[in-house]
Amino acid sequence: MRDFLLGLAFVIGGGVVIAVAQTYPTMPALQYGPSLFPSLIGGGMVIGGLVLALTRIGQLRIAFAGPRSQTPRYDYRGLLISLLPCALIVFYILASEWLGAPLCMAVSMLILMLLRGARPWLSLVVSLVVAAAIYLLFSRYLLIPLPEGTLLSQILP
Amino acid sequence: MDSFLQGLAMVFNVQTMLFIVAAAVFGLFVGAIPGLTATMAVALLVPITFYMDATPAIAAIVATSAMAIFAGDIPGTYLNIPGTPASAAYVGESYRLAQKGRARETLGTNLICSVIGGLFGTMVLVFVSPSLAEMALNFSSFEYFWLALLGLSSSIFIAIGSRVKAFLSLTVGLLLSTVGLDMMSGAPRFTFGVPDLMAGINFIPVMIGMFALNEIMMFYGSRAEARSVPVMAKDSVFANAPGHVKTYWRNILRGSSLGTLIGALPGAGADIAAWIAYALGKSRSKEKEKYGTGHIEGIVDASSANNSGISGAWVPALVFGIPGDTITAIVIGVLYMKGMNPGPTIFMNGGGQVYALFTVFFVANLIMLPIGYLAIRASKVFILTPRKLLMPVILSFCIVGAFAINNSITDIWIMLIIGLVAFVLARNDFPMAPAILGLVLGGTLENSFMSSMLKSNGDLLAFFERPISAALGALVILIWALPTLIRLFRHWRRPAQTDQTPRSS
Repeated sequence: MRDFLLGLAFVIGGGVVIAVAQTYPTMPALQYGPSLFPSLIGGGMVIGGLVLALTRIGQLRIAFAGPRSQTPRYDYRGLLISLLPCALIVFYILASEWLGAPLCMAVSMLILMLLRGARPWLSLVVSLVVAAAIYLLFSRYLLIPLPEGTLLSQILP
Repeated sequence: MDSFLQGLAMVFNVQTMLFIVAAAVFGLFVGAIPGLTATMAVALLVPITFYMDATPAIAAIVATSAMAIFAGDIPGTYLNIPGTPASAAYVGESYRLAQKGRARETLGTNLICSVIGGLFGTMVLVFVSPSLAEMALNFSSFEYFWLALLGLSSSIFIAIGSRVKAFLSLTVGLLLSTVGLDMMSGAPRFTFGVPDLMAGINFIPVMIGMFALNEIMMFYGSRAEARSVPVMAKDSVFANAPGHVKTYWRNILRGSSLGTLIGALPGAGADIAAWIAYALGKSRSKEKEKYGTGHIEGIVDASSANNSGISGAWVPALVFGIPGDTITAIVIGVLYMKGMNPGPTIFMNGGGQVYALFTVFFVANLIMLPIGYLAIRASKVFILTPRKLLMPVILSFCIVGAFAINNSITDIWIMLIIGLVAFVLARNDFPMAPAILGLVLGGTLENSFMSSMLKSNGDLLAFFERPISAALGALVILIWALPTLIRLFRHWRRPAQTDQTPRSS
């Protein structure tokens, strides 16, 4: 079922790529312009996606024909939890300018550690120490301008 | 001679040696923790190598990858969970040996085989690359087009699993390679008005998204693991290893040469090398029946093959700029960043740099012996490191590492989006290697095609007019036709066998 849907997604994605590629300017001196490779790639996505979807139709029929209880239940809870690191990255992107990189990292790490059942005091210590260490390594030694955070700069002298 | 001494001096100094040791320990740690791959270790290391000189940066990458591949055997032996995919082929064999109380002996033999394999691959790199580079000096855009296509084709046809999925994974990588200003016309493609995308997608955030963020998401999506403390062996690490090496020297030689060859093929890395070496070792063994019951011969072929594959992958990466595996795909980007543009000229005007590179390989492989020995003695520390504490730390490194390349938030977004896409694809058994090769080779493929078409006034037959170009083109067509030929061959053999059966009875 998922392969069938992914095949369809590739077909649609390939179609969009081809459509966007057609808007690129053509070069007068050449038969081939900047649209050639994206169009070929889009074509490949459409063909590959079709092959994937069509080869899974048989499995799809069996899945629909069989009793519902036989189809394994999809682990939606696991899927949602696996998206949490992404949500925390978005939190970092949006909040780091204000809260500062070290604090955002520490909060993200603490949440993830507690989620998997690590001891609270250990999680707190590890996340604070690691966030400070990463900040010092990248910001002070490698001179990466990690956001210090307006909140922190207002509080600290 | 001066260049050689200059190269030695670049490696044998306190700073570079310290980096090698630190990188080896880092590789050991990442490799020994199940779920963290050697490619992930290298992807996480790149933002730091960005701020190093060329030689220590390359040395750190070589030491990390070699050590991580060996370290993958440690949890494989004690827990039956391969630390990296490259150890998966013989994990059952080493686990059964550990159950017999021979864990350290197994790991000691693994270590020696890994070192020999790595050194064998290095010897091939040292002796074959310069002559290949001399030949490659005559290559034009026609040959480079075929080489890029050869790399992409083999990434699909050599991949384990569905070829359609490998092909679709490749299209994702190729599509990413087209983002940015077109080299010929200067037209922006798929930039969506974002200025940071004009120069194209930086491959480091892509790598971090594909190999690190994806793994972190996989970890949180899976059920919590209860890892019990394994029974730690007290046998000797090296006491029996020399005897095994003496008995199975043919296996080591075969595994090393096969691993180097497979590693050099684009798209096939250490994991495929280990699987093929294990299968070949079993089919050629005089004691086939012992395989699967905890037989030391079963680990010799494959553990030398996966480490020689790591070195072998550097041959096409250095000579042609075509990566042999996902690690060298990262390395090519690092070489460009350091001004050591991969290609045949690296051997001509590299001065001491090339000798330094070769020396680094020897040192990184030899240093595995003492560090590996200590790691075997202290295996418990590595295999019981709780991933629930480690994965959040890796996530922080991912964010900072992606940001550090251009000091841009856009790169964190790229890592996030690619990580999500990779997660969906990997959960559905799409291989990731073709996508990475597509991203790295997409530009070479398009630019060499466009340059060739300009030179030949749009005549496609020009791709077959030069002898090497024609040979490479024929090889690509052969690779494409291979699955059909194999099917036809099997179809042809089956009726022949059924015809023979009644006659014999």
